[in-house]
Amino acid sequence: MNEILNIVSLCVGYDKKPVISDFNTRISSPSLVTLIGRNGEGKSTLLKTITGLLPSFSGNISFFNKEISSLSTKEKSTIFSIVLAQPPQIGNITVRDFVGFGRYPYTNWLAMNSKKDNTIIDESLALCGLTDFAQRNFANLSDGEKQKIAIARAIAQNTPVIILDEPTSHLDMVNQIEIFELLHRLVKEKQKTILISSHQLQLAMHYSDEIWLLNQGEIEINAPTFFMENKTIEQLFRLEKIKWG
Amino acid sequence: MPLKLNKISLLLVLLSISAVFFFIEDLFLGSVHIPFSNVIDILFTSSSEKLSWNIIVLESRLPRALTAILCGAALSISGLQMQTLFRNPLAGPYILGISSGAGLGVAIFIMGLGFLGISLTHLTWIGNYGIIISSIIGSSCVLFILLVSIIRLKDIMTVLILGIMIGSVASALISIIQYFSYDNSLKSFVMWMMGDLSNVSLAQLKILFPVVLLGLILSFLISKKLNTYLLGEDYAQSLGVNIKMTQFTIIIITAILAGSITAYCGPIGFVGIVVPHLARLISKSSNHIIIIPLSVLIGTNMLLISDIISQLPGSEKVIPINAITSLIGIPFIFWIIFKNKRISELN
Repeated sequence: MNEILNIVSLCVGYDKKPVISDFNTRISSPSLVTLIGRNGEGKSTLLKTITGLLPSFSGNISFFNKEISSLSTKEKSTIFSIVLAQPPQIGNITVRDFVGFGRYPYTNWLAMNSKKDNTIIDESLALCGLTDFAQRNFANLSDGEKQKIAIARAIAQNTPVIILDEPTSHLDMVNQIEIFELLHRLVKEKQKTILISSHQLQLAMHYSDEIWLLNQGEIEINAPTFFMENKTIEQLFRLEKIKWG
Repeated sequence: MPLKLNKISLLLVLLSISAVFFFIEDLFLGSVHIPFSNVIDILFTSSSEKLSWNIIVLESRLPRALTAILCGAALSISGLQMQTLFRNPLAGPYILGISSGAGLGVAIFIMGLGFLGISLTHLTWIGNYGIIISSIIGSSCVLFILLVSIIRLKDIMTVLILGIMIGSVASALISIIQYFSYDNSLKSFVMWMMGDLSNVSLAQLKILFPVVLLGLILSFLISKKLNTYLLGEDYAQSLGVNIKMTQFTIIIITAILAGSITAYCGPIGFVGIVVPHLARLISKSSNHIIIIPLSVLIGTNMLLISDIISQLPGSEKVIPINAITSLIGIPFIFWIIFKNKRISELN
């Protein structure tokens, strides 16, 4: 395990209002880290700041020894890929072409896929069990399928870090489990570092290597077993009867 | 399933052939009957039985048909780019108030010169360039207001309503300027407002052609970036696209295309909205590398057909082209909305 991301004294927020301040941590590779916390606590803001989509108020984030803020948008696109809560509303595109978007940072101005690009797209589809969907129209699929395709797209981007912002929030239980299962496999088989925010506490506890618990601007970091044993999460979510199993 | 690349190429070839056909048709048809062979002679050898035929073909029909081509291509691409940028299927230069902004720019220019005691009739070159530049500035201003409001408002539908309101404000300001203008400049402006394809001379085409061509080439060069916009800004940025720079480029290109066409032809509605939808519908693709050339050719065909209809072949009357494009365009928009039911799935 080596340290892939190093976050030092990070302060994030929006509209000039800080929501999380003085956040320090190191993320090792490969690992699955889940960020949990109530709505409006700043989970999306934190994730977007780490990927460089939003500027930080202060502090540093570095990928190995490179500071993220000093990198170009293009360079960042080869380090981080993202999956957002809402699948994109886009019609008239096949699943394969959608996954092909992941190759954009590597293709020429006409977005022509090389042999290598095509192989990576096919592998990403296969990894997510989407090979049979390749020629289907993206717009006609269910939200669960669309999110899996969005993950396949992120895999095709071939970045060491994948960041997912509540990707399971609109999905049913079966799809939620399948997505966590898929992310777990990516960490084990492809050595990815995955940072995901989710409200699925039980799945997060089951699959994560590390939990970030965000509560009123403070982040508590520990192993899932630690949180299962003490009552922090139950108190935060007012879930006295929750059973970890 | 999207059409394969060779089918798209075939489609492009067929549309090019039909554009050539309608172009020749447009030169041939009009209130004065000129035999087909004479039209061809005039085009290639500049000689004909009657001098008046020469003038009609070379100085009236040819510039008008060429303008129709430029107009169809430019409006279609500016509409397409706006639909992608605003992620709104109903976006287009006419609805978003960009044409009105261009009108206000031109009104300030023509009437402003009037206040300074300068008449446009003596200053052809300054007049030509001034109108085109003021029109581009006017349309860019509206686009910038819209863009700032997208960033602040987030809700795209609100931006559309804002566009309609900006259009009304621009029209109101134009009325006020008209009210206080001198007769001479008012006349120049009213002539411009009634502008149609036949207002553009061959000399003006020499300015319009490179400007439109530049806009079209630039828009094709950024097709890949436009594609990433289909996913939304966050995804686009995570794919390595510099969002601010791209938005700026799209706005400049749209302003050049819609502004320059509006400067010379006046506001022509609905082409910008309808043509990109037709291109997506036919190709079943959202890929700009495919739909940009397709929109250019569909737009060209549509404007040439509209121009032929507006000439009412065989009669001496001419209907304004704006009426024809609206009559063709509006049923298409209804059809598109009813067919898809949900507007959000149109893009």
